Amino acid sequence: MSLPKRIVKETERLVADPAPGITASPHDDNMRYFDVTISGPGGSPFEGGVFKLELFLPEEYPMSPPKVRFLTKIYHPNIDKLGRICLDILKDKWSPALQIRTVLLSIQALLSSPNPDDPLAADVAKHYKEDLKGATQVSKDWTNKYAVETA
Amino acid sequence: MAKVPRNFRLLEELEKGEKGIGDGSCSYGLEDGDDIMMSNWNGTIIGPGHTVHENRIYSLKIVCGETYPDSPPSVAFKSRVNLPFVDQTNGTVDPTKLPVLANWTRNNSIETILVEIRREMATFNNRKLPQPPEGSFF
Repeated sequence: MSLPKRIVKETERLVADPAPGITASPHDDNMRYFDVTISGPGGSPFEGGVFKLELFLPEEYPMSPPKVRFLTKIYHPNIDKLGRICLDILKDKWSPALQIRTVLLSIQALLSSPNPDDPLAADVAKHYKEDLKGATQVSKDWTNKYAVETA
Repeated sequence: MAKVPRNFRLLEELEKGEKGIGDGSCSYGLEDGDDIMMSNWNGTIIGPGHTVHENRIYSLKIVCGETYPDSPPSVAFKSRVNLPFVDQTNGTVDPTKLPVLANWTRNNSIETILVEIRREMATFNNRKLPQPPEGSFF
């Protein structure tokens, strides 16, 4: 199965020159399927956590966006219980000029700036709007519980 | 063609199932909305008309393993039903006796399994089989 040159190039760069706090490595048996980790950004309630994600480049990529979801549980208003992510560039704001790298950087940025006005997890968004301090604490607790490797 | 990995395939199936498929005679969804690996599913079949199954609602349990959709899920009836491919002690569907499972390909899905089982209910040999009381479970 031949892989489009664009995907080969993007993959090479991701591996050789990774963005800070982000790793992405393709599966040996499916070069369109990546294991991803994103470190929680400093100053966010996800700081100190390493979140696992999976990313898949569909047949139509780059005319269609990559598919991405979290595998690590996370308490965030724009990420649901199954790890699905509400982010415009993964949907109607996708452009073929974007790349895997830009998508992952945008997800990392989403961790720093939750947007409870465009929620995917309605209960988490409600919590964020009504009790920011309490909700942030739950996000921290979940980070410690699910996203911190214990030696 | 790009090979869609298990989890993204199951997410597609989930989204399709949530929207509702066809005429509503078959439906399915996750047993537990928190199940990040999306392994355990509930299925429902409404018995086909003009058969002994007419208007009966059958519940099934479908388990998608790590190798799904390269290998078929395991399927079992929760509702009691008398069909030649269903083990009468525990409701398990015998994959060797149901063509959609025996001749499994990646193009099949939870939906195609339910639709095929419903079609089996209406075949000449199965449509008049005596059935256990409605609403009983294995």
